[in-house]
Amino acid sequence: MSLKKFSELFLDLDSSNSTNNKIEVIKNYFFSNDPIDNSWAIYLLTGKSNKRFISGRYLKNLFSQIYEYPVWLIDTCYLKVGDSAEVITLLLKNKTTSRKKELSDISLNELLSKTIPDLSKLNEEEKNLQIKNIWERLPEDYHLIFNKILTGTFRVGVSIGLITKSISKLINVDEEIISHRMMGNFKPSIDSYEFLINKNINLEELNSKPFPFLLANTIEDKIFKNSINDFQFEWKYDGIRLQLIKRSGNVSLWTRGQELVNESFPELVEKMSHINDDFVLDGELLVWNFKEQIAFDFSLLQKRINRKSPTRSIQIKYPIIFIAYDFLEINGRDIREIKLENRRIELEKYFSKWQNKTENNISDIFKICDLIFPNDWPDALTYKEKSRENNTEGLIIKKKTSIYSSGRKKGIWWKYKVDPMQLDAVLIYAKAGSGRRAGLYTDYSFALWKDEELIKFASAYSGLTNIEIKELDKWIRKNTIEKFGPVRSLKPEMVFEISFEKIQISKRHKSGIAVRFPRITKWRRDKKINDADSLENAYELMKKIS
Amino acid sequence: MGTKQEYLIRHKDGNLYCELADIWIDPSKPVKKALITHAHFDHFTFGCEEYISTKETAILLKERVGGNIKIKTFEYGEEFKINGINISFHPSGHILGSSQIRFIFAEEKWLISGDFKLQKDETCKQFKIIKTDYLISECTFGLPIFKWDETNKIANDISKWITNSPEKTSLLFCYSLGKAQRLLNEISQTNFKGNIYSHDSIHKMNNIYKKLGIDIKDTIKIENKKKIDELKGSLILLPPSLSKGSYLKNFKNIQTAFASGWMSIRALRKRSGYDKGFAISDHADWDGILEVVKKSEAKNVFFHHGDSEALSKYLVEKESINVLFFGK
Repeated sequence: MSLKKFSELFLDLDSSNSTNNKIEVIKNYFFSNDPIDNSWAIYLLTGKSNKRFISGRYLKNLFSQIYEYPVWLIDTCYLKVGDSAEVITLLLKNKTTSRKKELSDISLNELLSKTIPDLSKLNEEEKNLQIKNIWERLPEDYHLIFNKILTGTFRVGVSIGLITKSISKLINVDEEIISHRMMGNFKPSIDSYEFLINKNINLEELNSKPFPFLLANTIEDKIFKNSINDFQFEWKYDGIRLQLIKRSGNVSLWTRGQELVNESFPELVEKMSHINDDFVLDGELLVWNFKEQIAFDFSLLQKRINRKSPTRSIQIKYPIIFIAYDFLEINGRDIREIKLENRRIELEKYFSKWQNKTENNISDIFKICDLIFPNDWPDALTYKEKSRENNTEGLIIKKKTSIYSSGRKKGIWWKYKVDPMQLDAVLIYAKAGSGRRAGLYTDYSFALWKDEELIKFASAYSGLTNIEIKELDKWIRKNTIEKFGPVRSLKPEMVFEISFEKIQISKRHKSGIAVRFPRITKWRRDKKINDADSLENAYELMKKIS
Repeated sequence: MGTKQEYLIRHKDGNLYCELADIWIDPSKPVKKALITHAHFDHFTFGCEEYISTKETAILLKERVGGNIKIKTFEYGEEFKINGINISFHPSGHILGSSQIRFIFAEEKWLISGDFKLQKDETCKQFKIIKTDYLISECTFGLPIFKWDETNKIANDISKWITNSPEKTSLLFCYSLGKAQRLLNEISQTNFKGNIYSHDSIHKMNNIYKKLGIDIKDTIKIENKKKIDELKGSLILLPPSLSKGSYLKNFKNIQTAFASGWMSIRALRKRSGYDKGFAISDHADWDGILEVVKKSEAKNVFFHHGDSEALSKYLVEKESINVLFFGK
């Protein structure tokens, strides 16, 4: 099977907006290709890999060198296209027609398991020559895929859910089973593909894998019509969602992104492995302030996430805790079909049993989440408003009679987040976007007043509709004061409402403050720049919260 | 030659203007005398006292502006004089009747390329290389990422796109004058043998093309009340203005595509909202512009329409061609 089929699959997926159509196309691809190519296709489509063999810059320089093309011209093209791999693909058109296309039958497997990884074994000169060789011997239609894999930017609008549905349709096995099999690290091989498409469901082989996570929906007004007693209330922590699994004595920590993170949190693995029972818990991992019994800021957790095998001093400096809020399996028995209120009773029962074993003090790293008991909905609102005080994002509201199903199923779990903080700010810089937003000015910087001066305080690129983006883009082009490369400074005229999650002091920024997750929530056409907020307003906001 | 003011043709209020002849080229506001390169809406305006164009452009203009305009026509290559300036039209290969315009005055030659392409198009006269001293060229696709595929390759892609979804109605959006007729001509040479429908605005242009002796396939004028079943597996040509809004609700089970040079870029394709994009253009690509600049032997080049910054820099650096800019 050649790369041709995968190239066609890519084009089909890229030019379809219909989910059903995509599922059908993927299913047909699986049906008519080798298991090994299929496993690579899954690997690429789910975008789990995206290993970068060379950078976009390297690719551009290489092209410039081979074809004597000015780098500035390639960079100008990039501004229009927004993707180095695609720019080079377009520039390569008709440049390589002379050579025989000896690689026209190359398989996806050969390309990914040999041709591309082998590049890393070469010195720079050999590597450049080899890439040129591949460009010349590979049919033009495959250049985009090759360049994208090379630069680690292969992405197509396919979710793991779509792959799951396609396989489920292909072999006629429930989606849940496939979804279960899809969890964790997918290593492309014939075995891993055949494991996915195995029609016999073997529970044992699924043992180390997490259950599909149940996700919360944003709250809807209709919920307030229900009795408050129908629901369980918890704080919504801002940490890493984890499934903590202990089966046959082995502990595994799985994130919602389906990553196994045992190596980042060895102290948790160690402590949990001493518990006598087997279990699966759903909960949140946080860096915890044990003195005040609240979570530390997410930024501290970030110091732990990407660090494998942390030293003892790191473990002490950033102490973690796992807060369990659901109980999915106990000693091999799947209890997800039991009502939430009963699962909670089991959770409390087992937790106190584990805690009372004095030889294994687990309370310095593990607890179950506290419940909140509002009297009525207005009371719930009051709790929600207070959530910033304990560094949470709001409330999670769970239906007491619900079972633990998978995905973002409506009406089971709701998130009730704190209203975001907001300031009105003036647009002062714009930068061209990349990828889908290439050629449009979509990255904006906003400023607040300090006396008579506008000081930059945040950058944001989400929140406007496509129509607004186009309109603003036009305005930006007409109201540019100066260009610095891709950035334009703009006439201060437009006011936007910027919402964000957190505001704190920052010495790194000229404004002296830093905000988290800034985004545009309204184009304040009704406001003049003098109506925009000042840095002083921002400081007041900060005081109010802390 | 020398200072800006002495140029035979210059920019005035965003348009090309020849003061000596008091004549405008493709003016965007009503003037006394207008030379029209071709009949696309962004190249002429209503209400000029007098229009001058090729015969084909005149017929298309009358269809669009109304029959009672004053319009003088000339054949390709035929020279006429205004205030001592020799002026002539030459094929530009953009659409039917489209032309480059050459001015000769005091042994100095100026050439306005108009919109042009070098690619094969059986629905209009092939672009002709004209030698000149000064060239004013369009620059719509003035970056090397634009490199058109052969027209028949695109036509085959379109044919496959339709026949691979026999259950669907395929809506292909394209400009109603020029692009639509070129596509019809090309698609009729592919394996697609199903029905082709066209929107009234396209149908009208088809009829004019046919009257002028251009061989294009017959299409059925699309009626709103067509039965869904009849449209299954067929192709419908529509102007891009209908792609948004309620018009599409007239159809069921559709797939949509847009035929335009811009569709060669993935980000633009995705943002366009169409299912598919076919990169076919009636403008020259980067290599096409370079070829015309070189073969025209122009010593001085101006660009007009489109972002010419990169192309200008490239010509100066790599080809040592003198690129000039109109003062505002």
